[in-house]
Formats: sequence, C-alpha cells, structure tokens
Amino acid sequence: MSKSSQRSPFGWSNRGGNTVTVIEAPIARSYRRRATIAFWVTLGVVGLLAGTVASHYLHPIVGALLGVVLGALLGAVVFALIVAWPVLRVFWHWLPEIVLGLVAVYGWNMVMQSTPLWGSLLVVALVVGLPAAIGPVRRRVMAWAWCLVVRHRLRLCFAAFIATNRHGSLPLILPAKPTPAGERVWVWLRPGLSLRDLEQDGQVQKLAVACWANEVRVMRASRKYAALIRIDITRREPLAHKVVSPLPDYVPTDIPANAPTSPGMPSVGLDLPDVPDESVTTTADTPRPRKPRNTHTTTESPNGFDPSDYA
Amino acid sequence: MDATSPLGIQTSNPAESVPVASVLSIFDPVFLGIDEFGQAVYLPMIYRNILIGGEPGAGKSSLLNTIVGHAALCPDVRLCLLDGKQVELGLWEDACDVFVGPDIDHAIRTLRRVQIVMDNRYSFLKARRRRKIGPNDLFGQILVACDEIAYFSATAGDEKTQKLFAALLRDIVARGRAVGIIVAAATQRPSSDIIPTSLRDIFAWRFAGRCTTDVSSDIVLGHGWAARGFSSNTIDPNNQGAGLLIAEGGIPALVKAAYMTDDDIIRVADYAAWTRRRTAGLGTSTERPAAKVAA
Repeated sequence: MSKSSQRSPFGWSNRGGNTVTVIEAPIARSYRRRATIAFWVTLGVVGLLAGTVASHYLHPIVGALLGVVLGALLGAVVFALIVAWPVLRVFWHWLPEIVLGLVAVYGWNMVMQSTPLWGSLLVVALVVGLPAAIGPVRRRVMAWAWCLVVRHRLRLCFAAFIATNRHGSLPLILPAKPTPAGERVWVWLRPGLSLRDLEQDGQVQKLAVACWANEVRVMRASRKYAALIRIDITRREPLAHKVVSPLPDYVPTDIPANAPTSPGMPSVGLDLPDVPDESVTTTADTPRPRKPRNTHTTTESPNGFDPSDYA
Repeated sequence: MDATSPLGIQTSNPAESVPVASVLSIFDPVFLGIDEFGQAVYLPMIYRNILIGGEPGAGKSSLLNTIVGHAALCPDVRLCLLDGKQVELGLWEDACDVFVGPDIDHAIRTLRRVQIVMDNRYSFLKARRRRKIGPNDLFGQILVACDEIAYFSATAGDEKTQKLFAALLRDIVARGRAVGIIVAAATQRPSSDIIPTSLRDIFAWRFAGRCTTDVSSDIVLGHGWAARGFSSNTIDPNNQGAGLLIAEGGIPALVKAAYMTDDDIIRVADYAAWTRRRTAGLGTSTERPAAKVAA
C-alpha cells in the first residue's frame, strides 16, 4: 500500500514541498488507514459473495476470479470515497452556498441571454430589491441566512475548542431554524462528547462569542437519545415587550352590560385620621411578630445563605 | 332588539339569551406567555399545582390572574380565591364560588370545605373502583388560588390557626390532584419561616419571578438551580412578568407571563360570572348564592 508521505490528488504531504495542504497530515493518515481497511473488508466481503454467486453460473475458478475483480473494483470505489471524504465533507458543508452561487451565476446567464442588459438589471433589482424593501420578508430571509452562518460557526467551535474524541470526528450539525430570539440548532453528538462537556464553565459563553450572539443555551432535545441536543442562540430579547393574554378573545362581544357587581363600600376609613388610635389587644387577629429572618440571615452568613431555608 | 352573535345566530336580547360558556377546559394547557425564544408556553394545570414566588412587583399576581382567568372561563371549574390583599384576585369575586379576603378563619373554613369535598370524592372514586377523575366527569374541578400565602401562614391569626392553615393547604396540595383540585399559590419568598418546607416542596410547577438574591431564587425553584446558572436574580427588575418556570421537562425556562389589563380582567370576569350564573352545567343557580352566603 502507498505510504502516507506519497503525493496524492488531494495534496497531503509530509514534506511540505509544492503541494498545498488541504487536509492536515494526521487526519489524512487516519483517513487513509480507514480507507485501506475499508478496501480490504469490501474486497473480502464482495469478493466472497460475488464469487459464490458467479460460481453458480460459471466455472468455479472463473467465478472466483470474477468475484475478486468485482470486490477489488468496489473496494477501490470505497477507498476513493473514504480518502476523499474530508474534501467531500467540505463540499457537503457548503452545499447551500454552492447551490446558491450556482443559481446566481446560471440565473444571471439565463436572464442575460433572454433579455437585454437593462431587462436583466431590472430582474435582478426586483428579485433582490423587493424582499429587501419589504420588512417581514427581509427579516425572514436574514433569519434563514443567520441559520446558515450559525451552522458554520458552530462547526468551527466544535473543531476549535470543544474536546472531542481521538478520531477527531465532529458532532453532526443537524438543521437549524430561526426563532424570534435567534436560531435553534439541533446537534447529534458523537461518542466522546456529552452535554456535560458543553455545559462546562465558560463553554456556552465561548459559543456565544463565536456565533456573534448574546447568549447560547444548550439543552437536551430528546428524552430518548442523550446524543441529540439543542443549541439555542439568542440575539434579540423577545421578552422585552408585553405579552397580551388571549383570554379576552374568548369573551363574545354581545354580553350584557348589567354585569353583577358587589355591594358598594362607603369611603370611610381610607385615611389615617379616620382610624382611631386604640390599644392593640392580643386577639387572634393581631399580626404575629415575624421571626427576624433578615437579621438572622445577615448575622449567620454575609452572602445571604440561610441553611434553615432548606431545612 | 335583535342581535347577531359572532356565530351568526339571531338572538333576541342578549341579556335574555342563554349564554354560551367558552369552550375552554382546565384539561387544556393554560397559555402562560412566551419563552425566551419567542415560543408560546402552555402549562398543563390539571393534576398539577404551582408555586409562584418573586419580589414585590415581579409579576406574580399577573400570572395568578392568567391562571384564574383560564379557570374562570372553564365552565366546569369552581374557583376558591384566597387573597389577603383583596385587590389582586378581587376582580374575580363575582365569578368565583368562594372569595376569601384578609380573614384567616374564613380561609380555614374554606380549605376545610375543600378538604371534605376531596375526601368525599376519593370515597366516591373508590366505590367506583377508579383512581382519578377525567374530563367530563361527574363532577368538575376546583381551583384553589391563594395570593400571598404568607399572610395566612405567617401574619394573620395566631400560631395555631396559621399552622392549621398550612396543614390544610398542604393536605389539599398533597392529595387533591387526582380528584381535580388544583392549587396555585403565590408568595414573595417561600422560605421556611413563611411556609413550611413540607408544603413548599410538594408543588410540582414552580415560577420564580425576579428575586433579590440567588438564595431566594433557589428557595422558589429548588436547591441548586442558581449554581447551574438558573437564578431569577439575573432578571431585569423592569421586565415584570419575566421569570424562570419549572414545568414539563424539569429544567427552568425563562418565560414572560402574559398580562391582562384590569379592563380585560373585568371583561372576562363579568362574562365568567354571567355564564356561570346562567348555565346549569355545574351546580344550579340556587346552589351558587347559597355557597356564597355560606362563605
């Protein structure tokens, strides 16, 4: 098998040289090792199966050879896929952007071919300008754009500073959706990482910094799977405004105005001079002097912790 | 004077017509407000109890009013309101079955009545070989809403009556859930000198409005949440109604409780009073004034 120091189409190299390092050497080596194992396993399994089936129709030796050839072919495909996976993965991660870019380029081309320049510019102005001019549409588009951004930022965080396993496999970043406060991203953790790692001191703050957000909260998203977590990224403060209760909507408009009211109360005793200064008797209605809890807590401990509260 | 109802049905004088109670049920989750991600928060109250804490002006009564308002629009829920401050729940006085002002003896009598109802219901269920009530059952549910428990459990009356009040309330919280008796209680700081910990710790749902210290927040939510980053001390004092809610899921969530203006409350309360007096679904009209007089 080839050594890791050899050149390859994807540019891994231990010598530096002229090649551009697309994937770091240890990762490339690890993938090559995996690809080699996958090649031999595929060769073995497919070769055996194909050989057995082919021997049924052909001469056993020819069948076995055919099986080996098929196995080697399929193994080579698997090998290539696994070796190329780090690069393919990057394409996969940027797929929405790539698709959008292609749509923009080909769309512009098509528009230019079918209309004169001013027509094309008009179409572009309409397609870009209309959503930008209409507030709700613009906010929706921006929210979705943030979802794309956040998934990249989270991937960067996981790769950069969140402890992970020896293989360096990153958590799977599942879809993101906009919320009124920001974004919500679901993540499937790989072996070697747990929610506790993300809850460690300072981790969510680092996530918030990396996501250009105000606050990040991490919580479980599934009662069944500990691996499925939810990351809530807060950019705006949706709780600042008053929340109106929907209960009055249940009241029909045509209720009678003669609503029952309690008997009125004379406006007597509403000010201090109206209440006589009498001696307080120790009847049942006398307010009992409360325990001096405030002084108690302050004398017991300066930070306000009172163990008796938990007693 | 003919009028057309929203459903398009011709009715005569609305005052003469039979009111149609709203379609809400206490088995529906109560709309509480929105969470910090802007999603609506619904709180299932059936078979549950809630303890609401927080400093004065944190929005406790607003939340309590939302819960009482939902229950008032449920035609099969009876309301027992205890409010030492009178005005927080006082707007519902005509819609409720029992309204207790700053009168601890009345409060104890009311809780005793609820306790007897609870015992009778359990005997009934046992006789029917059942373990809990369901929707559209033979009898409705009872909401016991208590604003400022501290008034009854630590301020009014003597120590004996306060203890009796706390014991009765604890019994209702502890045993009431399966027979549809729901307790929603609010107090500023439910520390052990205000309400017994044995009462405090059996509330399933917790709502902590803004508290002045992490310890106060922990007293409402339960020990250890402040250390895990959930302290209602961090809430902006100007953001009334915001607080940490422990409900389904068991992890505090920052929510903002919905707000009803006084006009809204009066409108809903009047409608509830009107439908409750006119409909014979739950108790007859002769029973209701009797209950009020007895109260």
